[in-house]
Amino acid sequence: MPGIFVYADTVEACASLISAAYGSARGVCALTFDEKRADELGGYGADKVFLLKGDNPMQESYAKAIAALLAKEGPEVFLVGSSTTGREIAAKVAMYLDCGLVGDISSLAFEGGKTITTRYIYGGAAIQTEVLDGYAVVTVPKGKFEARKYEGKTSDVITLKVESDNRVTLKETIPLEKDSKDLGAANIVVCIGMGFDKKEDMKIAEDLGRVLGATIGCTRGIVEERHWLPAGSYIGISGTTVKPSMYISLGVSGQIQHVVGIRDSKIIVAVNSNANAPIFMAADYGIVGDMYEIIPLLTEAIRDVKV
Amino acid sequence: MAKIIACYKWVTDEADIRINSEGSIDFSKAKGKISDYDKNAIEAAMQAAQSIGASAVALTFGTAKAKLSLKDALTRGPAESFWVCSESAEKADGAATAKVLAEAVKKIGDYRLIICAEGASDTYARQVGPRIAARLDLPCITSVRGFEIQGDVITATRKLDNRTEVVKAGLPALISVLPEVNEAPIPGLKAVLDAGKKRSTEFKLQDIGLTDADVAPRTEVRDFKAYIMNRKNIIISADTNADKVKELVANLRKDGVI
Repeated sequence: MPGIFVYADTVEACASLISAAYGSARGVCALTFDEKRADELGGYGADKVFLLKGDNPMQESYAKAIAALLAKEGPEVFLVGSSTTGREIAAKVAMYLDCGLVGDISSLAFEGGKTITTRYIYGGAAIQTEVLDGYAVVTVPKGKFEARKYEGKTSDVITLKVESDNRVTLKETIPLEKDSKDLGAANIVVCIGMGFDKKEDMKIAEDLGRVLGATIGCTRGIVEERHWLPAGSYIGISGTTVKPSMYISLGVSGQIQHVVGIRDSKIIVAVNSNANAPIFMAADYGIVGDMYEIIPLLTEAIRDVKV
Repeated sequence: MAKIIACYKWVTDEADIRINSEGSIDFSKAKGKISDYDKNAIEAAMQAAQSIGASAVALTFGTAKAKLSLKDALTRGPAESFWVCSESAEKADGAATAKVLAEAVKKIGDYRLIICAEGASDTYARQVGPRIAARLDLPCITSVRGFEIQGDVITATRKLDNRTEVVKAGLPALISVLPEVNEAPIPGLKAVLDAGKKRSTEFKLQDIGLTDADVAPRTEVRDFKAYIMNRKNIIISADTNADKVKELVANLRKDGVI
């Protein structure tokens, strides 16, 4: 059954990929390592599910086995959920099969046997449309497509034993600090930029965050130059992408590498003393002025409307 | 001496890109630079080379324009640089780039570790590192935020979406590093002077056993335009900061976000 094959390292992400592929008039086949929940994928629209089984806890180690399965089944497109693990598998599979790979797409369409993708480049300053003719691998950011349940739909689950590459071995797994894990899913984000003079000054941003019930994020410089917050806290192209209903930047200049990480925010607010800061180009509302004065005022004003 | 090979890309500096009003992109003022994250990859190679007594070298694939990158790369410390020069680099995708770099690595030979950045600052496609590893059949560790080498074993800390992993692999291996892996120093004057004395080797595709057909891109770029974000762009102008804040809060309430 050629068609669209999908893989993601969680059932939720896999379900979202199935919905991207569903209805494209080709069958959808899902690959999963999740033994307990493999049978749920049929309900999300998969026509066929391969449950992959192996002894290695690192899913990356099965890239070659997945490539071999795809070579045998001959699907037209392989959609992969863009996690760290997914990206590595996607890149290796694309190399083993000598085909194109478009990563972290922002849109995806299937037209007459071709796959049309768009993605941001130059740190988000430009958007590029690519056409993939024939077999290709595409990675899709988390939450891009909404998963749908199909009442009464089920699919066969075929269990397949797969060989792993055991040359990289897992020694230890450490869960991320809660804050950084939540950042990508936060409903309100307050972002700390290089406009803060001292580490202690971040308190006014944290106070604002508290009245809003916001998660605190920051720019890359705060993590890498100042070491004020842990690595998981920075927002941007090489850090976390956020999509809150409101994002408030404080003393953030708005370099393109940062802005690409906040684009999916519903409302963007910027406070910066420099009227020419590029962040204002990306903002819905901007206040130009001394943030040391403005932030406490904003905290008070929000506290007033919340009670 | 065994080598640690840092791969880098000479990219257009996105800070120099101008967006025209109709959405086209003006590259006429744009200069080249070593991709930001690749500076960390080069520094990682320097630190790794020092720790195991190997020699760090830099490798790039680029058009004639990338010649400018060689000295810049060498000022960052590597003992030697290698450049696969081909105009096909202009349109190369991840598939083509990884093939070229992998074949160049083979040609350079005697390597212990290949270091790439997670992605390039222009495309940030995050695929070349693992593709090279697949082609060379090397153990591969992506998303590396720290690592150390002891004897023939590399231990690396990887950043994943909801966790950190500590993993081990035998050398030779390939790692792709996140910018947080180190702080890439700004080269001093002495480093700049020393760079002039170092050797750069230029390869053509045929020198590494590839043809133009081998490096044809697998993806076709149909369109390329400036991304213009649709935002309200309202700068709140009131007399006092207190009034500005009041107006902002009123707007946010209207939008239903507070």
